[in-house]
Amino acid sequence: MIYIFSFTIIYTFIRQREKILSKKRNFALYILFSVGGLALGIVYLLNPYLPSLTTALEKYMK
Amino acid sequence: MNREVTLRQITFMYLFISISSILRQMPQMLASEAGRSGYLSPVWSVLATVPLTAIVILLIKSYPGLNFYEIMEQLIGKVLAKIVILLYLLWIFLAITAKVTAYSLTMQFTLMPRTKSDFFMAIMIVLVFYALIRGIKTIFRFSELTLGTVLVFFAVLFLCAMTRIRRDYLLPISTIHLKSTIMASKYVIAIGGNIIIALFFADKFGITVTKQQLRKLWFGLGTFTVLAFVITIFSFGISGTSLTANLPFPFYITVKSISFFNIFERFEVFVTLICILSDFATICIFAILLMRCVTWVFNLTECNFLYTPLAMIVFYSTYYLSSTQFEFNYLYQYIIVNLNLIFQYIVPLILAFFCFIKRKKIKQQY
Repeated sequence: MIYIFSFTIIYTFIRQREKILSKKRNFALYILFSVGGLALGIVYLLNPYLPSLTTALEKYMK
Repeated sequence: MNREVTLRQITFMYLFISISSILRQMPQMLASEAGRSGYLSPVWSVLATVPLTAIVILLIKSYPGLNFYEIMEQLIGKVLAKIVILLYLLWIFLAITAKVTAYSLTMQFTLMPRTKSDFFMAIMIVLVFYALIRGIKTIFRFSELTLGTVLVFFAVLFLCAMTRIRRDYLLPISTIHLKSTIMASKYVIAIGGNIIIALFFADKFGITVTKQQLRKLWFGLGTFTVLAFVITIFSFGISGTSLTANLPFPFYITVKSISFFNIFERFEVFVTLICILSDFATICIFAILLMRCVTWVFNLTECNFLYTPLAMIVFYSTYYLSSTQFEFNYLYQYIIVNLNLIFQYIVPLILAFFCFIKRKKIKQQY
């Protein structure tokens, strides 16, 4: 999935580059969310069996 | 007048997005919290949902033509409004992620147990993406068209199931159960609070909102309460409380035992289909709310280019949030329900309080 998402992110950038580059804020948000999503994807790719947030909360709340 | 979204469509959408939670989570939670008398909880939920609907109507009437963020801006100032909307953004993000997980778990539990959740999620993302490109009107029209059929289907289902209800599963109940049924009603309230979506789209209703249009919200609330009550009674009356409390999708199992005059059976496939459609509408509507919150928080004029990165974040967050049925149940019971109560009831209540204080100033404006 990460390859499909990476391709879609690049495709969206090319298709909508005028909108994205028209304002610094748009570009910053696009980069921020894209990097965030890719980082999550890479972490999942490296270790798909990471304990979930709910497991951590369950342990903490007990 | 040709409005982008009407209150009628909001009411239909409210009912449609509530259906999947009513069918899937509510009977299970009520059975585990209140036991046999849990079917009375939807009745108690009216004590919270009626004031909330009144608050929603008050805010729409006090600030005609303004959306949730603009109303907040008027009442508590720009900085505080942005902070609150940012919190709403996080809550909606969590709600979407949980909904996607619930949807893929439902698919695995009912129709395709061997298929990986990636597959279901990818399909859902593509469908939501397509719906969003078509615009919000399409999504609202979809729920408007589908809800009628769904309600007729439920009516037929309940008529067929009437003879299968066991009285001993529902009675006797006494005043000892009163406290537990009231406490358990929070699970119904947390679903009924979806009516606040009306505030997010309040700017689409136009400047003049008639009493007749606002009455639609009361109709929606009434239908929601009746639906919640009837579905709980049928789940408890046919499957029994102990089974309902221990199943991830009790209504699905309940429906398995129903047939239409021994001619037509396997209604459970339709129940799964309704759940999937409801999940689809919920994810679509929450995605729109998420994008609206992003627009308000970051002062954007357009945000279509953020669909892909946000979809990616939602997709991978589902794995980090909860991946199994047990984790999802825990997340729903202890986190999502309580967050729903805060964002659907407490924040609007505070806003209504400010609205009440500033009522003279508001009257002068309009």
